[in-house]
Amino acid sequence: MTMTIAAETAAKPARARGALRRQGTLVLRLGALAMFALIMAWFAFTTRGFVSPANIFNVIEQTAVMGVLSFGMAVVLIGGGTDVQTGGIDLSIAANTGLCAAVYATLLAGGSGDLAAAAAAIGTGIAVGLLNAFAVVRLGILPLLATLAVMNIVAGLELTVTENQVIGANSTVTQLIATGRFLGLSVLAWIFILFSALMTWAIHYSRIGLRLYAVGGHPEAARAAGINVGAYVAGTYAFSGFCAGFAAILLVARLSASTTATGQLLLAILAAALLGTVFSRRFVPTAGGTILSTLFIGFLANGFQLSNVSYYWVNGVQGVLILMVVAVTTFAKPQGK
Amino acid sequence: MPLDTQSAIIEMQGISKRFGPVRALEEASLTIHRGRIHGLVGANGAGKSTIIKVLAGILRPDAGTIRIDGQEVTRLTPALVEKLGVHFIHQDRLLVPTATVAEAIFLRHEPRIGPFLNLRAMRRRSAELLKHYFDLDLPADALVQDLTTAQQKIVQITRALAQEAKVLVLDEPTAALVKREVDSLFRVLRRLRDDGISVIFISHYMQEIEEICDEVTVMRNGTDVGVVDPRQSGIDEIVAMMINRDMGEMYPARSVAIGAPVLEVQGLSRDGSFRNVSLTLRAGEIVGLTGLLGSGVKELVQCLFGLDRPDAGRVAIDGQEVALGSPVQAVGRRIALLPEDRRAHGVAMGLSIADNIALASMQRYAKGGLVSAAKEAAIVDGLIRDLSIKTPHRHNLVRNLSGGNQQKVAIAKWLSCQSRIYVLDEPTVAVDVGAKVEIYNLMNRLAAEGAAILLMSSELEELVGMCDRTLVIYRGELIDEFTRAEADTDSLLAAASGAARKTARETA
Ligand SMILES: Nc1ncnc2c1ncn2[C@@H]1O[C@H](COP(=O)(O)OP(=O)(O)OP(=O)(O)O)[C@@H](O)[C@H]1O
Ligand SMILES: [Mg+2]
Repeated sequence: MTMTIAAETAAKPARARGALRRQGTLVLRLGALAMFALIMAWFAFTTRGFVSPANIFNVIEQTAVMGVLSFGMAVVLIGGGTDVQTGGIDLSIAANTGLCAAVYATLLAGGSGDLAAAAAAIGTGIAVGLLNAFAVVRLGILPLLATLAVMNIVAGLELTVTENQVIGANSTVTQLIATGRFLGLSVLAWIFILFSALMTWAIHYSRIGLRLYAVGGHPEAARAAGINVGAYVAGTYAFSGFCAGFAAILLVARLSASTTATGQLLLAILAAALLGTVFSRRFVPTAGGTILSTLFIGFLANGFQLSNVSYYWVNGVQGVLILMVVAVTTFAKPQGK
Repeated sequence: MPLDTQSAIIEMQGISKRFGPVRALEEASLTIHRGRIHGLVGANGAGKSTIIKVLAGILRPDAGTIRIDGQEVTRLTPALVEKLGVHFIHQDRLLVPTATVAEAIFLRHEPRIGPFLNLRAMRRRSAELLKHYFDLDLPADALVQDLTTAQQKIVQITRALAQEAKVLVLDEPTAALVKREVDSLFRVLRRLRDDGISVIFISHYMQEIEEICDEVTVMRNGTDVGVVDPRQSGIDEIVAMMINRDMGEMYPARSVAIGAPVLEVQGLSRDGSFRNVSLTLRAGEIVGLTGLLGSGVKELVQCLFGLDRPDAGRVAIDGQEVALGSPVQAVGRRIALLPEDRRAHGVAMGLSIADNIALASMQRYAKGGLVSAAKEAAIVDGLIRDLSIKTPHRHNLVRNLSGGNQQKVAIAKWLSCQSRIYVLDEPTVAVDVGAKVEIYNLMNRLAAEGAAILLMSSELEELVGMCDRTLVIYRGELIDEFTRAEADTDSLLAAASGAARKTARETA
């Protein structure tokens, strides 16, 4: 019985689904936007201080860290394909940020120069990314498993570096990032804007981006077109490692210290990157979608905080968002390859 | 024919390739000369696609040497082959489903302005190229996954044509294309040949081989068994080399009493696709349906499949009006559908041949909910033999079969489910001549048992040879109907391209 039904759906040609899907994705995109707007409006009316300029800038500054990380995750999703089971994913990105932050703060606290500390942080991030790349591309381990394992290795390393302590750190660079302003905007906000612009170019207006989408969309087709698929996929993990290192510097600067709770960011990063796919008719991450969802998740967490809702609820909501997005995109995607 | 080795641009010698126990290629050789169109023919599973994938750097051969332009190349990669000027259209449509038409055409050859992609130029030039080569208006922003099979093929061909190729390799480019598009393609290929470009052309359509090829390599069981000049040798001789036996009659004769109407369609319309189509299908009858790309014939079949909802019209089965809304309902009504895109929708690539065939016809083999394994095995083996599906065993995965053999599994699957109405969309695409005859025999047998068959095909010879009546759709309207006596390929083509209507000619 179930088998016959499976056979019938499998027989459904692409175009009927195509028409359905086009309408479906439009509804989905508009629906997601409406939901964003609705939730924002609700917070604006019910929560005091939510729309104050100070709060908005606060959220945008917080979002800078999240934005960098979400882009790292988005790039991995693009290059690995968004298949839930076998597609690209970097579960180690948050733990990696924690490790990089620990390295950065420890070096600064130990009196290292700004440049050396920053280079070490980013180098650490990229090294972890390359470990992921090795596991996924060379060893052929499913990204879900490979990065889960690396996540644990990295979390362990972080503990040995910090001994589970908060390490204070301060330097001219961290000061500049945390408190500097330029043309009326904080340095963190500028970093977010510039990074987003750079990523928009890389993803949508560069050859690399186009080829990366091809690699994620149909690796055999990309290979037949002469693209070095393995190198591109490896590159995405290295890049997400770079993002972890970069975000770690911003994080330490903002808090003047490394924290022990960076791992908790993973859920929000994943939610932002996955939610971003809803805004594309192809259900792939886009720059615009990633920025929008990162801001949304930032404001969501902030709104909950201001209304004194327990932080656990934020986690719950992010979890629900992930489930919803995965369910909806899986349903709306064409079947069979 | 004088074979001037000086002018050889590609020489592949003694190429062997095994997949586990399967010997796909065994000391195969292939020599391509400059400025020639070189045909590559062979039965399904003969090794054509495999040797092409070796040349493309996708598969690494176990043995053999490859020379391109006189240079021996040992480590071929797709990027290197492209750099050497060899471009491919692979049989399994290797296109990124989530790419747009423009992106698919320019992938890896993207026009740029400084560090930026020139998206506007990509869109404009891809539209121009499609128009120029195939006179086709495809929105450059359409997603590949939303295109029809033929459109995807054309996008793929256009991608290869857009490059400055020295050698162009086309693995079954014309499967699923209609005559007009094939003619456009041939015009382009001849122009390229006259410019000194070499073409490797794979097809199961012998008329095409005869029409366009300057020389032909025949492959059988993984080896090349001869190089012939198609103008001197003739189709029969080539086919005999291919399948190593006499083929018999291409379109077997058939005489069946035609019974009561089983499917009646009245005034079926769908906005922007087709208007006011009425047709009747009787028991024991084979009715053909054809039309050019964009004529609305594909959309019509979709509605008959129950996959699209028509805007107006009525459909009756056995005199009872039905709402054909979903494919499940369609099958409940005992309509069997053979979709055109069988690779994606007709077979489960990850399952075995036996499982695929059994999937469609569970009820038939099930007794009290249990499938008799022995009976299933017997039926499956029978179909494998009838359609000469080339495989070591029925438990082999469909994924590992050659393109044409995958098609045969889909056909076996749907033809074995004992329906009353069969809607077959291009049933013999990519299938070798021997198996084609077997499929025709199967269709005839079904009709003789009282089934009604709607045969949608772009191969006009097939319609002429098989159908009791052939319906022609032009610009969304059913404009002509030919009986078996009236139908010939020229008048079908004239009607399909709107050049002349039968009725108009008769009154004139
Ligand atoms: N990945 C694979 N694993 C196992 N066997 C394979 C694989 N690819 C091809 N084969 C086998 O190699 C043989 C040659 O296949 P190939 O695709 O070259 O045939 P072909 O001549 O292109 O046939 P067609 O006309 O059906 O496209 C077939 O028997 C096929 O089953
Ligand atoms: Mg083939």
